[in-house]
Amino acid sequence: MQKRHVTASGMGSTVAAPRLRRLDQPVHGTGIRAALYSLKPYLYLLPGFALLIFWLYRPLSQTFYYAFVSWGMIPGTEPTWVGLDNFTRLLNNKDLGTAVINTVFYTVGLLPFAIVIPLLLSVMTNSMNKRAKNIYRAFMFIPMIMAPVSSATIWRWLLHPSNGLINKFLQAIGLTSSNIAFFSTEGVATWAILGITGWKMIGFGTLMFSAALTGVNPTYYEAAALDGASPRRRFFDLTLPLISPTIVFMLTMSILFASQWTFSYIDILTSGGPSGTSTNISYEIYTYGVANCDGGMSSAAALLFMLVFGAISIGLTRLSNRITFYDKNG
Amino acid sequence: MKRLLKIPVWKHAIMLLVCFLCVFPLYWMIISSFKGEGEIFSASFWPQNFTFSNYTYAFSEMPIARMTVNSFILAISMTVLHLVTGILAAFAFIRYSFKGKAFFTILLGLAWLIPVQAIMIPNYVTIVGMGLSDNLLAVILPYAASAFAMLNLLTTFRSFPDTIMEAARLDGDSDLRMLWNIIMPNLKSGIASLGILLFITNWNEYLWPRLVMSRLESSPIQIGLRSFISSDTNLWGSLMAATTVSCIPILIIYLVLQRQIVDSFVRWGTK
Repeated sequence: MQKRHVTASGMGSTVAAPRLRRLDQPVHGTGIRAALYSLKPYLYLLPGFALLIFWLYRPLSQTFYYAFVSWGMIPGTEPTWVGLDNFTRLLNNKDLGTAVINTVFYTVGLLPFAIVIPLLLSVMTNSMNKRAKNIYRAFMFIPMIMAPVSSATIWRWLLHPSNGLINKFLQAIGLTSSNIAFFSTEGVATWAILGITGWKMIGFGTLMFSAALTGVNPTYYEAAALDGASPRRRFFDLTLPLISPTIVFMLTMSILFASQWTFSYIDILTSGGPSGTSTNISYEIYTYGVANCDGGMSSAAALLFMLVFGAISIGLTRLSNRITFYDKNG
Repeated sequence: MKRLLKIPVWKHAIMLLVCFLCVFPLYWMIISSFKGEGEIFSASFWPQNFTFSNYTYAFSEMPIARMTVNSFILAISMTVLHLVTGILAAFAFIRYSFKGKAFFTILLGLAWLIPVQAIMIPNYVTIVGMGLSDNLLAVILPYAASAFAMLNLLTTFRSFPDTIMEAARLDGDSDLRMLWNIIMPNLKSGIASLGILLFITNWNEYLWPRLVMSRLESSPIQIGLRSFISSDTNLWGSLMAATTVSCIPILIIYLVLQRQIVDSFVRWGTK
């Protein structure tokens, strides 16, 4: 016996159509057809979720286990339970402090490139005609689509200590008289990596903020102008709150890319050096596991990393959900 | 023209400078790749004599053609797999109500919080255990489904009106026919823009292939570039030639689909 009633979500409550079965209502009754029908959604979910569970959630649970064992990652050897030893070794590791400080440095240092400069550029170009805006956008966006490996290679050449164009330029205008070894000088390498990451980010940020500004309802500005609000006040009291969802989005992206892209840059340009001063957390986790074959410590670091970043991401998502109600009339 | 003149010149000057800084490194890469040995270390902005010797050398030293083909196979097959698994899952979510829907939603929502570092060692052990190292499948299999693509498609599919699906069901369409004939054509611009995003991301993938691939013949071009850097650091012309080759597919796609690519990033960001 099939249950028949008006579809509430699909047809709207005013439409009287008593013969319709609700779209997502499973067929009631017995028999192979009904059984097959109730299996159907799972068949559609199967390929995607089987892969996610096997290649994402299963290894994650294994990482939880590896974090508490000592294991050299050699096939045939058995991991031995060591309790919290990996975590204490990790926290006593002298490189970890540098890695954490650099992770914060790369993340916070990226914010001007992801938010401040793009916001200024997009406000500046907002009144330009569409054609000019599109041309600027198209050029600025190119670094974003480039592979981090290719960008790293190009910058390695541009910043080459003796033959790089940038060193030649700096000497030609008299800023420095000696060759700067950007990637092997302590204190300079981190800034070089940050600069390259920022270079990739600016166009993306500008694009996002331009799109957000275009979406702002112009009547708000007209109203504010009528009320005598200065351009400065209009920016801080009107524009900023209205585009705050984009600011949170770019904040999330810069946290994500600061760890993702810098991994390639560090790996190719400095290998964490000179003497470990440019490394960050994601590169250290990789080094513990792959170079040192210390699966336990790598897993422990990965877990801590995931907890901290997970907490930040969830916080940002909540923040973004709280502030997206601003422009309901937009 | 009137409109253009209203904008102060300094604004355009700043934008031109920013554009220059964004594009110049690429220009320098291409120009360096055509400079001969005698000229590569000079700061000239145009090669005095164009030479292809860097390219011939790069192609003879490294299996560049093979690696580019590998990159294409990887990027295309992963993009297709991400879209297919994502479309099927998104369809299940909007078409049916079923037990465990909330559970599956949570599973998807948490997936993007898991960094590669937290799964790479167990996955590496699995891949080696399957005897797949240096096989393209080693790169594809662990990333055959993407939570990012699934979530993105779910949002796209949720915008599809229930009423049309209901009408199709009344017409007696089977589910797959409904998906293929009615939903997909209506959502194709959203799906295509996600496809572009995925292709670029997959083409640029680095960490995981670096871990599971060791032979150059079976690696994507990104890994080849890395090994070229570490093997011989003074052949800048050839290195720039190889880098140019690694960028060409992305740049050509960008040249042709510039509008759509920019739009797909905007769509992603403003969701």
